[in-house]
Amino acid sequence: MILSDTARSAFEGLTRNTTRSLLTTLGIVIGVGSVVLMVSLGATFQRFILDQVSTFSGNTFEIQSKGLEEYGKDPMTLTEADAEAIAKLSTVKNVVAVIFVAKKVTYGTEELSPMILGASKDIFTNWSMKLELGRLLTDGDLKGGKSVAVLGNKTAEDLFGNANPLGKRISVGERKFTVVGVLKALGGAMGTQMDTPIYVPFTVAKTMTNKGLFVDYISLQTTGNTDLTGEDIKSLLRQRHKIDNPNDDPDKDDFIARSFSQAMDILETVTLSITLFLGLIAGISLLVGGIGIMNIMLVSVTERTKEIGLRKAVGAKRRDILLQFLLEAVTLTLFGGLIGIVGGGYLGFILTRIAARFIGDLSFALTPGSILLSLGMAVGTGLIFGLYPALRASKLHPIEALRFE
Amino acid sequence: MTSSKTTPLIETIGLNKSYVNDEVETPVLHDINLSISSGEFVAIMGPSGSGKSTLMHILGFLDVPTSGHYNFKGASTEEKSEDELARIRSASVSFVFQSFNLLPRTSVFDNVMLPLLYNSATRVSERKDRVMKAIESVGLTDRATYLSNQLSGGQQQRVAIARALVTTPEIIFADEPTGNLDSTSGTHVMEILQNLHRSGHTIILVTHEQMTAEHAERIIRLHDGHVISDDRAFTRRIAKRGGQIK
Repeated sequence: MILSDTARSAFEGLTRNTTRSLLTTLGIVIGVGSVVLMVSLGATFQRFILDQVSTFSGNTFEIQSKGLEEYGKDPMTLTEADAEAIAKLSTVKNVVAVIFVAKKVTYGTEELSPMILGASKDIFTNWSMKLELGRLLTDGDLKGGKSVAVLGNKTAEDLFGNANPLGKRISVGERKFTVVGVLKALGGAMGTQMDTPIYVPFTVAKTMTNKGLFVDYISLQTTGNTDLTGEDIKSLLRQRHKIDNPNDDPDKDDFIARSFSQAMDILETVTLSITLFLGLIAGISLLVGGIGIMNIMLVSVTERTKEIGLRKAVGAKRRDILLQFLLEAVTLTLFGGLIGIVGGGYLGFILTRIAARFIGDLSFALTPGSILLSLGMAVGTGLIFGLYPALRASKLHPIEALRFE
Repeated sequence: MTSSKTTPLIETIGLNKSYVNDEVETPVLHDINLSISSGEFVAIMGPSGSGKSTLMHILGFLDVPTSGHYNFKGASTEEKSEDELARIRSASVSFVFQSFNLLPRTSVFDNVMLPLLYNSATRVSERKDRVMKAIESVGLTDRATYLSNQLSGGQQQRVAIARALVTTPEIIFADEPTGNLDSTSGTHVMEILQNLHRSGHTIILVTHEQMTAEHAERIIRLHDGHVISDDRAFTRRIAKRGGQIK
């Protein structure tokens, strides 16, 4: 039997019970649709995150105490002296010690709780923040302990609306600060994090907290090989913190040191696994759809036992019957898969558009690869779940099949 | 009936068939020795349970004997695989069943086409002509596009005969072809089979009705799996008495 005839027989077999075929296909539509939806949303999310992070230069390096990320660890392990020691390494520049200040910021009736960072001017270079109005922090601000503040774009907008913030006096806790600069907006999802902080001179921040000589965070840029410099920094800190860790076991350290490119790799891995995880969950519904296909194909084989007997009596070989039923299953899943891809893709597109209204600049990602993957999964489902019923059909004895009532 | 010198189309030597059910062996056919030549119209007769259907299934390559020999066109058919039997069925034999066995909700044309789908000897370009010719020979040309379930029983059986003809098989097996039909339709179907016989087809009819069997020129009677008579002179005897075959 030639393949086009088999395909035609399979199609006729399906159209003889259109309602049932469509209902069975629905399981695959939902299964493939949710796989496409989840994978495309995951990819959209991943691309969005990575786009945002990629605004940082890859040779920016950050060190923080482990306690900032892991509950139960001492939150303060880094000191100003650590920063000074690191700054003496030959392959680093722009070493900035940072202190976080937890205070409310008020102006008139507006009250906000943005992140307040005590830092020096190099932090803006390291984080690629550009100035929109006024000026950045200067060495003079640090030396003189001046109560000046540079505002993130969003915080400036929240506090002052359309008014010019320059020269205005804001309260940070009990203390008054003069706004000397406003940063350019980064926009996007990272913007919500990067556009809100208020930057004040490190020396001033120090007097507002009781952290002593400890600092929360050290930012720097490497001038040579980032990985090698990272090793230098780690061994220097281990030496200073008296940590014996020759095997580079991150569990033994009391700090976390990583470059932004490393952070980006981690982020990429994390977002990819989220995508895969979502896809896997969605794959379960495809599995359920596949079982539906198998069930209905088994019913179909039983119902059409006589037909199978007849086909064998007029000369059908085992292979012909096997292929026909396998093709019926695959036709169902392929058809369902195509609808699922269009439906899931469209839904993902709509959801992305809706989400874009809230977090801005979000472009929908549905790659040809994920479309092919979904189609492959659909066909695979048909083959796997169609095989057993098709085998059963092909093994029927012609006479017993013909006599079946 | 003078073909004894040539190789018979069908020849069985000491053919036996038994079924095994729950380790109990039930013999169905005993020592069947038959020879049927090309162009014969043979009726296999017997009450139900006599083994006539089983014999037809074996002769039609739907089943295999437990022991004994079955030579088809002089060649042994023992130890053929299931697919090889399917190939022989496709090329050489066809069936007309009591319950028609048409594909439901499928046109007359597509029903008749069915055997050609599995017949690699027929070119795709020839198919349509052959199907229409087969439909024409049973007088259903104007019904070719009808669905099988829109036809009467008699018409359905004629479609089944057209389906049996379309591959120009060497033997047509008819298993109680009139069993589900009223007498008028039954007569019509038997006339078609007789016409096919006159135009040279080999027909093996399985029936339990004497009236139906009388259409054949040779009647083989089975009882409890044994051939109890093989009467070639039946038609002549009727003819001598001036009787007519209905």
